[in-house]
Amino acid sequence: MSNDKNRIVADCEIIGQIEVAPHIFRSVLVEPTIAKAAKPGQFVNVRVCDCYDPLLRRPFSVHAVDPEKGTFSLLYDVVGRGTKILRDMHVGDKVSVVGPLGSSFDLGDDPNVHHMLVAGGCGTAPIHFLSDALCHKHGCDRVTVLVGAKTGTALLCQAEFVAHGVNVEVATDDGSFGFNGLVTELLDNCLKSTLSLGINTRVYSCGPMPMMREVARVCRERNVDSCQVSLESAMACGLGVCMGCVTKACDHHEESCEDWRYSRVCTDGPVFDAKELVWE
Amino acid sequence: MNLSVEIGKIRMKNPVMTASGTFGSGQELSDLVDLNKLGAIVVKGTALKPWKGNPYPRTAETPAGMLNAIGLQNDGVDDFIEKKLPFSRNFDTPVIVNVVGQNVEDYAEVARRLDAAEGVSGIEINISCPNVKEGCMAFGTTTRGTAEVVSAVRAATSLTVITKLSPNVTDVVEMAKAAVDAGTDALSLINTLLGTAIDPWKRKFKLANITGGLSGPAVKPVALRMVWQVAQAVDVPIIGMGGIVNALDAVEFLLAGADAVAVGTGTFVNPAATVAVVDGIASYMEKMGIDDVRELTGGVGS
Repeated sequence: MSNDKNRIVADCEIIGQIEVAPHIFRSVLVEPTIAKAAKPGQFVNVRVCDCYDPLLRRPFSVHAVDPEKGTFSLLYDVVGRGTKILRDMHVGDKVSVVGPLGSSFDLGDDPNVHHMLVAGGCGTAPIHFLSDALCHKHGCDRVTVLVGAKTGTALLCQAEFVAHGVNVEVATDDGSFGFNGLVTELLDNCLKSTLSLGINTRVYSCGPMPMMREVARVCRERNVDSCQVSLESAMACGLGVCMGCVTKACDHHEESCEDWRYSRVCTDGPVFDAKELVWE
Repeated sequence: MNLSVEIGKIRMKNPVMTASGTFGSGQELSDLVDLNKLGAIVVKGTALKPWKGNPYPRTAETPAGMLNAIGLQNDGVDDFIEKKLPFSRNFDTPVIVNVVGQNVEDYAEVARRLDAAEGVSGIEINISCPNVKEGCMAFGTTTRGTAEVVSAVRAATSLTVITKLSPNVTDVVEMAKAAVDAGTDALSLINTLLGTAIDPWKRKFKLANITGGLSGPAVKPVALRMVWQVAQAVDVPIIGMGGIVNALDAVEFLLAGADAVAVGTGTFVNPAATVAVVDGIASYMEKMGIDDVRELTGGVGS
């Protein structure tokens, strides 16, 4: 995981607003510097209005980039005031964006490793960008994406993953599509088969906390060496100065940690080695 | 046009400072803000030993503002001097360190260590942070506590001493006078206002600490009133803060009687808000035909 400071503050024009699933929106913004500099796992901090209420910026992970067109996309669930305002903006409107921010996924250098990506709900947003980058670096046949959702209609980016050419497995809680059960059960099954074939596997995940906790547990149990998770948090500054968006982290990798410290999601993360975190 | 001001022995090229806890030690934002353009950098609250801080959630957004209950997470004064201070020596901008403690001796010892370090211009005594169980605001809400801490720090350092006042008192002027009598060179105000927020659907407090400090534009009228009251009562320089987001907010504080201002939560909204405030004060002065920023101080009429 790396954290290069090449962030900028820019007014970005919105050139696309699409509802991709019920109350899930994709906004496409123009800013060549961010499109070029952003790495999978990083986020941008968006000021959704030129007003005092809501006052603070909203963090969104980068969902996709197109460095040639100079654009980048956000994918978000409309859950609160900030996302409602962003959803209601029109093509041609501008928003102030700070980014790219935070740490990014370490894609690894070993060409013989398999990469297993676990996405839950809107956590699919950065996994999409990551899948694209891993595909380019290591080849799509080395990448498997496990996508989880409550039900089939809430599945995100499945078509895009198929278009990338990666292996795609789907799990729905209600069994309406793909594997009937949790995406973490699917992960366990998939790990069992790759590991039994002696294939070294790296795991990457983004989704709800209970899901990522389970991903971390499965990885620990199966002795997966590299398991990276991307955390979500409300933030005040997003710049590493306010110490508001913290999570418990540990310097050593033993299972229980007494000497944990509060680590910033915005600048020490959002991508962490799962072994570094204290899972409660 | 003169923008420079003096706070005690600290000469600043303009009256705009960072508010402690919103700008780290400066290095964190040095890629987005030209630190040489600031009047002074005020470093986040620093204690004798590292403090872990409060459980999360630590922040909650409120109308035109936010609550925070960080609990002064910091790595301690020795870590600051060793790892963070060297970077700020590359800039021609005074560094003021906000100092916190659980007892009077801690405050004095941190002040002594900062005094001995190269590159610190001043100390801001934090007896007003509302989020720590022991020490801190407990001192700043009585005249006796205020006097005790200020006297101890005054005796421990020859650096410029600024005392940061809490708005969570019945009479802020009393505290201001107690700090001045105990030897503070300057005053800064206000720290955050104690408040809380509740999530009605979850029926839970939004902060793990239950209460937190309110900042942002929502507090500006209260801050402005307190700066004006204190300016009427004391003769030391005043650093005004509370909800400053743009240059005209800053000008209001100067007119109310402040000699300098600090931008806090405004930096979260616009990372380069401090520099925008510096530039905006200059253009205000140009428009108003004012040559010296010091003419603005206390310049409000009724």
